[in-house]
Amino acid sequence: MIAFEHVGKRYGGRFEALADINFRVERGEMLFLTGHSGAGKSSLLRLVMRLERPSRGRVLVAGHDLDRLHISQVPYYRRQIGVVFQDHQLLLDRDIFANVALPLTIQGVDPADAARRVRAALDKVGLLHRERALPIELSTGEQQRVGIARAVVNKPALLLADEPTGNLDPQLSADIMRLFEDFNRIGTTVLVASHDLALIARLRHRVLKLRDGRLVGDGEVA
Amino acid sequence: MSERQPSGARPRGAQKPQRRASGGGRAWLRHHRAMMSDSALRLVKRPIATLLTMLAIAIALILPAGLWLALDSARLLDAELDESATLTVYFAADVGESRAMDLAAEVGEQPGVAGTRLVTAAEGLADFQQTLGVDDALAQLETNPLPASVVVTPDVTAPAAVQALSQRLQAFDGVDEVRLDLAWLDRLQQLAALGQRVALALALLFGLGVLLVVGNTIRLAVESRRQEIEVVTLIGATHAFVRRPFLYSGAWYGLGGGALSLIILALGGNWLASPVAALAESYGAHFALPSLGIGNSAFLLLFSTILGWLGAWLAVGRHLADIKPR
Ligand SMILES: Nc1ncnc2c1ncn2[C@@H]1O[C@H](COP(=O)(O)OP(=O)(O)O)[C@@H](O)[C@H]1O
Ligand SMILES: [Mg+2]
Repeated sequence: MIAFEHVGKRYGGRFEALADINFRVERGEMLFLTGHSGAGKSSLLRLVMRLERPSRGRVLVAGHDLDRLHISQVPYYRRQIGVVFQDHQLLLDRDIFANVALPLTIQGVDPADAARRVRAALDKVGLLHRERALPIELSTGEQQRVGIARAVVNKPALLLADEPTGNLDPQLSADIMRLFEDFNRIGTTVLVASHDLALIARLRHRVLKLRDGRLVGDGEVA
Repeated sequence: MSERQPSGARPRGAQKPQRRASGGGRAWLRHHRAMMSDSALRLVKRPIATLLTMLAIAIALILPAGLWLALDSARLLDAELDESATLTVYFAADVGESRAMDLAAEVGEQPGVAGTRLVTAAEGLADFQQTLGVDDALAQLETNPLPASVVVTPDVTAPAAVQALSQRLQAFDGVDEVRLDLAWLDRLQQLAALGQRVALALALLFGLGVLLVVGNTIRLAVESRRQEIEVVTLIGATHAFVRRPFLYSGAWYGLGGGALSLIILALGGNWLASPVAALAESYGAHFALPSLGIGNSAFLLLFSTILGWLGAWLAVGRHLADIKPR
């Protein structure tokens, strides 16, 4: 599903945020990306989302070299990836329903069809009863679940999450991770960046460990 | 940030864009309609700010449009010359009474002459006395200093034709002077032609002003919706999708500004109408200030709408390049 081949990323020509990264992720896998703050986790995810381009090496997603993706096709590529952010990135002036529907609106999905899919996604994260609420009326944990609903409403083959539990207490974090596992169970490839080592250790998935932009570990940690 | 233009190679297989799949056209139309009303709603929600922007646009449009209109009305005088615009042909002092009558008859046969009225030297003097009330002074003159003259009513009203007639009459033997009081008109029309060029240049300048006004307003709107733009870009919105609401806002601003300028022009025209008519009357011409008319009004609205749209397009285009999701 994802392959990094000798990937390096420099910002501003000098600073090396990532260096010689090599790994593969199979379809249907679930794995964590960990490392200290500034290790390069977000940079790696941004490469997968094609928000940045590698300074060297190749990033392949679903068999396609992202560097050869024409700029006009990038939006269509991104629609196939669900992304969850640390700070949920909800639109504060729209209700929960509209927020979750956003990817479908962008794709011009028929409104009736979209409504059905939005409700299914909200149901999955347990927030169907809040669809008319505004984001600020929800708790942090609920906001994050709305963010997840928005990421999965389009049934993406790949789900990325950048520190999705960064602002949550341990209990809520565990809930969120369980949600990701649910999606993984139905076939979605899930890659979660997190530095919550205790939580990661309990979940027993593959872990990629970054340190100063280098991949220093790849495997299950106990 | 290095968003290089890629080599142009396209990926194969599953990642083919799904654009314009079944119902794509309908979805596109749906989004256009949604953005048209959504952007209008956003403007209505902030009526004062919206009105101020539209007013700024209207003012920028009024100046060249109003000037153009005023100058156009001067050109229109052409066809509207008053019938009272006559030529007075003064004969030389040595032309006697009978010779004057012959000459008057000859003048009357000229093409372009509708009628003549001979004013003999004696009649001229009588007129003079009557209008000026200077009996005593004139009574002391031994001879009549006034020449005979003939008042010519042309049957053409175009100033150029009247001018030509006057020149022909001037060439007659025994004619001393032809007085045509239309020189002011000629000069006015030349000024108007010059002025219309100035108006056109102003229109270009103020059109640029409209672009800047709309551009700046849209720039602020883009800035205030930055987070939204970043989010939708992240989840796969095309540039066209992101741009669309702003383009509609710009078009609304332009349309509103255009409509406002039409209203102000109409009000201003009303206000000026009677003094202008009086002024024209005093010059022997009569006309009303022309209004823009349906065609020109529609053109102004279309023009301002397009300007608004273009201003938004420039602003968003410039700004989208800066906005990149973190
Ligand atoms: N856009 C950028 N420009 C310059 N430096 C950046 C940029 N993004 C990240 N970096 C730097 O790259 C390094 C890795 O950052 P990041 O990928 O955000 O790490 P993490 O998500 O693991 O905390 C950091 O030192 C960060 O300062
Ligand atoms: Mg990060």
